[in-house]
Amino acid sequence: MKRFVAPVAIGVGAVLALSACGGAATTPSGESAEDGTLVIWNWGNSDDAAAAYQDEVLAVFAEQHPDVEVEIVSQPFDQYYTLLGSAIEAGTGPDLALFNGGTQLKSRTDQLTPVTDELADIHDQLAGWPAFEDGGETYSAPMFLQGFPIYYNKAIFAEAGLDPENPPTTWDELADACDTIASETDVSCFALGNKEGLGIEFFLSGFGSGIFTPEEYDAWIDGERDWESEHATQVLQLWADTAEDGWYNDGANSTAMFNDSFDLFSGGQAAMVIGLSSGIAHWKQFDDFLGDDLGFMMPVTVNDGTTLALPIEGGIGYGVLNEDKLDLGVDWIKATVDRDALANYSIAGGQIVSDTTIELDTDIQSAQDIVAELPGSKPLLHTSLGGDTLDLLHRVGQQLLIGEITVEDAASQLAASEG
Amino acid sequence: MTAPTSTRAVVLSDPSPGWPRRTPKVPRRKRKITSETVTPYLLVLPVLLILLVFRIYPLLLGINFSFTGDQELNGVFVGFDNYLFLLQDERFQASARNVLVVLLFVPIEVLVAGLLATFIFIKVPGHRFYRSVYFLPVVLSPIIIGAIFNIVLGANGPLNAMADSVGLPTVDYLGQTMTALPSVLAVHIWATFGMALVIFLAGFSTLDQQLLDAAKIDGANFPQTIWHVIIPGLSQTIQFVFVTTTIGMLTGLFGLLYTMTAGGPGAASYLPEFLIWKLNGEARPALASAASVFLLLIVLVIGLIQIRVLRRATKES
Amino acid sequence: MRAERISRWVIAIPMALLAIATIYPMVYAVNIALKDRREYVLDRLGVTTTFNIQNFVDAWTQANMGRYYLNSIIVTVASVAIILLLASMAGYAIAHLTFRGNRVMFLVILGTMMIPFQVIMVPFIKLMSDIGTINTYAGLIIAYVSQFLPFTVFFMASFYSGIPKEITEAARVDGNNLWGVWGRIMLPLGKPALLSMGILNALFCWNDILIALLVMQSPDQRTVMVGVSALRGQYPDNVPTYLAGVLLVVLPLVVVYLIFQRQITAGVTAGATKG
Repeated sequence: MKRFVAPVAIGVGAVLALSACGGAATTPSGESAEDGTLVIWNWGNSDDAAAAYQDEVLAVFAEQHPDVEVEIVSQPFDQYYTLLGSAIEAGTGPDLALFNGGTQLKSRTDQLTPVTDELADIHDQLAGWPAFEDGGETYSAPMFLQGFPIYYNKAIFAEAGLDPENPPTTWDELADACDTIASETDVSCFALGNKEGLGIEFFLSGFGSGIFTPEEYDAWIDGERDWESEHATQVLQLWADTAEDGWYNDGANSTAMFNDSFDLFSGGQAAMVIGLSSGIAHWKQFDDFLGDDLGFMMPVTVNDGTTLALPIEGGIGYGVLNEDKLDLGVDWIKATVDRDALANYSIAGGQIVSDTTIELDTDIQSAQDIVAELPGSKPLLHTSLGGDTLDLLHRVGQQLLIGEITVEDAASQLAASEG
Repeated sequence: MTAPTSTRAVVLSDPSPGWPRRTPKVPRRKRKITSETVTPYLLVLPVLLILLVFRIYPLLLGINFSFTGDQELNGVFVGFDNYLFLLQDERFQASARNVLVVLLFVPIEVLVAGLLATFIFIKVPGHRFYRSVYFLPVVLSPIIIGAIFNIVLGANGPLNAMADSVGLPTVDYLGQTMTALPSVLAVHIWATFGMALVIFLAGFSTLDQQLLDAAKIDGANFPQTIWHVIIPGLSQTIQFVFVTTTIGMLTGLFGLLYTMTAGGPGAASYLPEFLIWKLNGEARPALASAASVFLLLIVLVIGLIQIRVLRRATKES
Repeated sequence: MRAERISRWVIAIPMALLAIATIYPMVYAVNIALKDRREYVLDRLGVTTTFNIQNFVDAWTQANMGRYYLNSIIVTVASVAIILLLASMAGYAIAHLTFRGNRVMFLVILGTMMIPFQVIMVPFIKLMSDIGTINTYAGLIIAYVSQFLPFTVFFMASFYSGIPKEITEAARVDGNNLWGVWGRIMLPLGKPALLSMGILNALFCWNDILIALLVMQSPDQRTVMVGVSALRGQYPDNVPTYLAGVLLVVLPLVVVYLIFQRQITAGVTAGATKG
């Protein structure tokens, strides 16, 4: 009868011994107080090019700080901010963490150390700063520019009898094009993934410059937002109308933006998509599937008195969470925008980098078209929203898409959440 | 030794499995400290200590934390502000409502598992094979189950393609308010009924075969046999499965929810644990704590009520 | 008799369909894991033609699975062993022994069983950090033991309460004290229940992501499931590789299940029918 007890007891003993070893051997990342380590969180490298870029950044940093050990922790992106928030709250957060510019960074500025003066010397070298600025302070430097360019499939345009070289420039033309695509082909007009609720923010920022006047646009970015204004309600109305008019693939609310909807576009199942300019779902990835059929178009004019602009701003950048490691953190941030590292990654990984003096050496036409529009570009509309308003926008976006709430209701909820 | 060693034996022979009999009143003064009186405490002590330190204490910390503010109010005492905020928050209301929907699905899982166990018990053709196969999903992680069913239940997925081919309407199961949460729950049942099934089978093996034979001789048909012989004989097993299924549903849906609907559309499939997760991700940990406390109360009250009701119901039958 | 046989076959049809519905998604996952990225985008539902075994190789190396497997095994084995040991002790006491506070103890078990981990997530991690167990095996083991112990105690108490008092009393007459009864009677008799709970808790520990992500923040200390979920962050567009990784994680579980399935599904029942 003792047969059963003995193995259990041995097992427990052995394991406790093992775990004690494990405990002694590790360096708790939360207590990186000892000099010479820098713990950095990010959400990993999307491909070999990104990994190569990270290696270059590490090399640049190591040149300045050969004795500092850098520990990079890659967390799954979809759990990233909750993990980070919990870790910071529990006092086990990293020294530096990667942030999306705009809402994500701005809602955590109370935990970040400003680096305004420290980065002043590279300010003129890069574009896209506003996404990392809040209340007059700078919290990080943008590595890439992230925007919402509209891509289209020239082959599908041709199949539908539309002119592949002259995409729509006004809302009416766009609506006509979608009608034609619906009747002439069996693909959807736009690929849409709205499972995460992201569809409406792509719609808002993607088409915003054709809807809002430049004054309204700038005021919106500055925080003066009136969701019940004519043009803001119009955004919600157009979003609901396009769903009702059948612009999108079936089941958009259960289709993940990343990457089911982009796969639909890559796979020729949709004529257009509001994509990204860097990271993933960009010109290089679509080029892999569509080649010369890939086209880029600007937003369309919806209202008179608007000035079309490419929506793009600083994408991602590292923020300093541990004030004691400020100097190391600043040097790491500067290493991430090292000109050579960015230049190499730009072409290998398909990134529009923040250093606009770097020439994008690619023959992918849509990339050149995007770069050509950079001078007149504007920041994204949705990233100036607060975290809770943005989450509410995601939810009403889903409800509008299936006609469960009215535009007026959505607008008043959003207005209320802006307080 | 002829001790019954199955769960169902245990469950069956105890009038109230798992619920300890009331300790007979022992006059306090006359108690002597002997090895006999101390050993029971030593046996439960490790469990008690672990639960006090690593469950109850964090819970108390969380309650304390829920009365402080977030961001610029970090660490500042804000009284019941977080709670008042939650009461009018759409996502919180949806989470609380959805707990009730979740509980409605508990009997369905018990029924499904019970029926299938009955069929396996009466040895329908292939019963051995089914017994093995049905348990298999229990092994899989919710992440992979969610990933697979995202595709299977998709608007253009295999299920809808099949429905379409026989002329049934297609449904965007995970993207519609009415179907999102029920779909997640259905998948949860698919993924976990194997466990309930095994417990039921354990219960069946203690059923009195003579009673079943007698019913057959008396000419009872199958539904009658279930109703008059099997259910009364299994009342303790049923109760046990109910409790474990309830707990599984109240605490084990996060993984599926996360991968299948992410709470949407709108807040239609929000559940407590998901809301808390989201609030932490929105850099509002104190609000998340308040939601934790609030929703813990709801879960505890509902859970305990259900257990009470069940105890009474099965006792009367 | 004939009618009954027919009705059994009729019942078998939906049961067979359900069995197919149980197996099909898994076959489906294997199918997708064998596609290359291009085939996945262009033809998601069709049967693979590329048979891209490379996905499994990539997943293995990119998710550092060799190292992470070891972490998972250590943590899972230790957690399960401790859970079973403590639960059988407490389960025996709660079910068989009379002591003051027995009911309170049971309510504590029942109450803690219903706490979803998210509810205590932040304070729990804070506690782990305060006692210095972040990034240690011990920390993750404590986390799993405290998370899964209540249900196991509940189950064991329920199981033991079905063992007749006469058996334990006979053992007492033979000169065993309470520890002896536990070690010589309750542990061996509890074997089927302990085996079921062992498998179930091993599944929970092995498949967990959330707790492991929070407690094991250092890349070297991760479990295999976390390694694979980070794979998704690293290669967000490569679903086939991700699924290949998940299948590699699940594979040992399926093997263990196939080995022990008789004990799990049939074995539990067998002991009792003899009685």
